[in-house]
Amino acid sequence: MKLELGYIFIKDIQFAEQSKVENGTLYVNKEDVKALILEDQNFKSADVELARPGESIRIIPVKDVIEPRVKVEGPGGIFPGMISKVETVGSGKTNVLKGAAVVTTGKIVGFQEGIIDMKGPGAEYTPFSKLNNLVLKCEPIDGLKQHEHEKALRFAGYKVAEYLGNLAKSLTPDEVHTFETPSLTEGLKLYPDLPRVAYVLMLQSQGLMHDTYVYGVDAKKSLTTMIYPTEIMDGAIVSGNCVSACDKNTTYHHLNNPVIQDLFEQHGKTLNFVCVIISNENVYLADKERSSNWSAKLAELLGVDGVIVSEEGFGNPDTDLIMNCKKIESKGIKTVLITDEYAGRDGTSQSLADADAKANAVVSGGNANEVIELPPMDKVIGHPEVVDTIAGGFDGSLHDDGSITAELQVITGATNEMGFNRLSAR
Amino acid sequence: MHMCTIVPISLTVGANRIVPTIAIPHPLGDPSLSMEEEKDIRRKLLSRALKALQTEVSEQTVFED
Repeated sequence: MKLELGYIFIKDIQFAEQSKVENGTLYVNKEDVKALILEDQNFKSADVELARPGESIRIIPVKDVIEPRVKVEGPGGIFPGMISKVETVGSGKTNVLKGAAVVTTGKIVGFQEGIIDMKGPGAEYTPFSKLNNLVLKCEPIDGLKQHEHEKALRFAGYKVAEYLGNLAKSLTPDEVHTFETPSLTEGLKLYPDLPRVAYVLMLQSQGLMHDTYVYGVDAKKSLTTMIYPTEIMDGAIVSGNCVSACDKNTTYHHLNNPVIQDLFEQHGKTLNFVCVIISNENVYLADKERSSNWSAKLAELLGVDGVIVSEEGFGNPDTDLIMNCKKIESKGIKTVLITDEYAGRDGTSQSLADADAKANAVVSGGNANEVIELPPMDKVIGHPEVVDTIAGGFDGSLHDDGSITAELQVITGATNEMGFNRLSAR
Repeated sequence: MHMCTIVPISLTVGANRIVPTIAIPHPLGDPSLSMEEEKDIRRKLLSRALKALQTEVSEQTVFED
């Protein structure tokens, strides 16, 4: 399966009479976007704001971040099973508004969304401060249940991202990147001497709005399965997650999964990137056993030499991570795990809830308990009062001048377990 | 003693007696069942826990029944 991603670089975003992309600027008709959101009768009002890199803006609470993309050639549409038909995507050509994003906000659960600062120390912790963001502020009708609000906001994000993506359909990309996955037998013939590597992508699926969708299927209802990496680039996997902000995978993360990017980069040079195995993180022990058994079984069946495993979230998913590790290692296949840490504010506590001696190659996205200080911003988009109650915040986190003292956990994408972040250690 | 759903975590952190429970969001019940059935589950798990507390152990022990 072969996909060409055409990047159209976006350096600025502005409101205008007509939505279009011209000379690296994304122009957006605000009323069109509002009308699109308000098609859903679950919203009583909608507002749209801009947040550009370097502006003194805080967005809170952030639910999802979505990159606008559009299919130019090949079957299907972006976000299959959600807003496009269930067609197999991942081949042909897709255009990307690189440097732009749709950010959805709203008080859904309150404590399980995050913060994006566009300027200052907070901006250094989140990759989304580098993007030209269209921020959707959607207020639900009275009495709307939380899970209905989550779904409505999730779809508002996809619809607006699709609307913006469509502006790029007939544009000539600034850069084209080609990604190709051969069949198993072709791959063996092409690279007989290279180590074969698969990627186990763990998807948050604990329920109660900790959910991920694959072609529209709720991941908690699926057994571990395989997927072409390019399908993910076309939005086959999307986030429906209201969970700790620092290490949840937003839809943007799935579209731009850096593990997949790096494996493709090394494909045919130092390794043979076989495919992606997607496995869930459910709340029953039997499900955890079954899903990790299946990851190991598929890795064995594929005959791979090594597997990279990335976790999503923390706490009980640490057990899914360790089960995947132990069971895959027991098949004689090497594993490298990507996770993050909850090692206490001083960093001396046990980092993960579970552990095993076989987990001897681990990459950390950082310590989510680290306490940080965020200065006030000139403008806040959203509901700043939730700072005291979001995961990583505490009573007194929000100070009178608008500054914040909280754990790193509050920042969207800060300790991402795909490695889509900037933290490092010496 | 731990009553918990994710037994491997209890084993990792060194609990002596472990009674496995239903699921992380509802360890002692199951919202898909009726109240009577839920109470039955709860009573059984609690009885098992009380039995576990009265049982001498020499190593980490999971009380499956």
